[in-house]
Amino acid sequence: MSAATTDTANPRKPYVRPISKTSWFLTSARYKSYMVHEVSSIFVALYMIQLVAGLFYLAAGPEEWESYLAFLRSPVVILLTLVGLVFFVIHTTSWFKAVPQATRIMRGEEVLPGKILVTAHYGIWAAVSLFVIILAWVA
Amino acid sequence: MTATRTIQLEVLRYRPEQDAKPFFQTYAVPVEDEWVVLDALNYVKDELDRTLSYRWSCHMFVCGSCGMMINGEPKLACKAFMQDYPSGKIRVEPLSNFPIERDLVIVQDDFVEKLTAVKPYLLPKQDKTVEQGEYLQTPAELKKYKQYSLCINCLCCYAACPQYGLEPSFIGPAALTLAHRYNTDSRDAGPEARGDLVAAHEGVWACSFVGACSQVCPKDVDPAGAIQQAKLYSALNFVTGMVKGDK
Amino acid sequence: MAHSSRGSAKAIPWFLFAAGGTVTAFVLPVMLIVTNLGFFPSAMSYEGMSGFLSWWIVKLAVLGILTLGLWHAAHRLRVCAHDFGIRADELVAWIVYSAAGFGSVAAAVALLMI
Repeated sequence: MSAATTDTANPRKPYVRPISKTSWFLTSARYKSYMVHEVSSIFVALYMIQLVAGLFYLAAGPEEWESYLAFLRSPVVILLTLVGLVFFVIHTTSWFKAVPQATRIMRGEEVLPGKILVTAHYGIWAAVSLFVIILAWVA
Repeated sequence: MTATRTIQLEVLRYRPEQDAKPFFQTYAVPVEDEWVVLDALNYVKDELDRTLSYRWSCHMFVCGSCGMMINGEPKLACKAFMQDYPSGKIRVEPLSNFPIERDLVIVQDDFVEKLTAVKPYLLPKQDKTVEQGEYLQTPAELKKYKQYSLCINCLCCYAACPQYGLEPSFIGPAALTLAHRYNTDSRDAGPEARGDLVAAHEGVWACSFVGACSQVCPKDVDPAGAIQQAKLYSALNFVTGMVKGDK
Repeated sequence: MAHSSRGSAKAIPWFLFAAGGTVTAFVLPVMLIVTNLGFFPSAMSYEGMSGFLSWWIVKLAVLGILTLGLWHAAHRLRVCAHDFGIRADELVAWIVYSAAGFGSVAAAVALLMI
């Protein structure tokens, strides 16, 4: 688009600035934080695969289940777990932050304030987490 | 009391008749703290360089003409206050993701076509004659979409949207938000009347909810929110369509 | 009813993505802590886990979480691929959605075997 020919009849020569298809997200802090929560999907996928595999090991019997537990104790898995936990929390917080934008609830004549929705989500998150911890504790 | 200081205003220049590509030109501008970036540009135009081109009109965040990149952020030049730029150096560029017509002026043709395409006007459920009176609406019905009607077409959201930059076929934040504004208007016949552009591939589904559009919007319109709601609507519409058995 | 046949291709996966995003946001952090960090040896023992998963309601919940989690991740990976500059969207979509479908069926089969 930036050809250097000068047309006297039509002097328009719009200049298009190039955008990198593979590194555009490095150009702003906003894009970087977006990419971080998008990349959380890699860890969600890995964890889902781990859990589905775990079900098969459980179905196979106690010895197989033990080998699965040993796999979970390996340093690589522990490391991936810790990194994954960070990404899961980023997924959760970024998801909750977006809720008031994506859902607009009318209460009477007013739009329900986003803060209430977000707080409710954090409350449910705490309750669900506590419930799972208690369940695992009493088992 | 006005404190005067001199800032270095770096402006991306592009003169199509003589430049192969844009370049930065720096002007030393004496500014006051109460000034906005637009005042500094006007100073350049009046006192330093009459060849500088840029769009502006109202100087009060209403007309939406002076959207530009200020230190890399899409902003209205009339709403970017000097006191928020203490460093003494301000870089001004035309809005990202648009072709540059000249200096800070961008080519808006693509947006105008998209804006027209989403039919941003009331398509009443049934037409009324003047004698039959107005299309009435309750305050609650108004509140449902009012935020989305405040757009001034400044195009800051398009400059912030990476998906528009990467795929210019994307209808983009402002036009989709305006479509949503009319689709959720109780007096309007809704998306079916407005065509399936919103639900198309280059409509809401090209949005990946980066959310930058809403963060830069000078009128707090929240285009990203409107688009996510429109996604939910289109998805529900698709499912109910399947259940009802029409295709 | 007016809906674009091209646009509709993303409506269903997006639904699952949105539902999965919500469910995973609530449960994944705590689940990961319970299953992978060794704090709950009795719950993670063979007897503990097979006892827990003998309840039908638990099987159903686990299947729901796994299926939605897989579809959520699949759709987001598709978007990720595009964001990293991969433009073969149809191929990517086919791969990730097939994998999610396969994983969902596998999860159901495994749960039936327990």
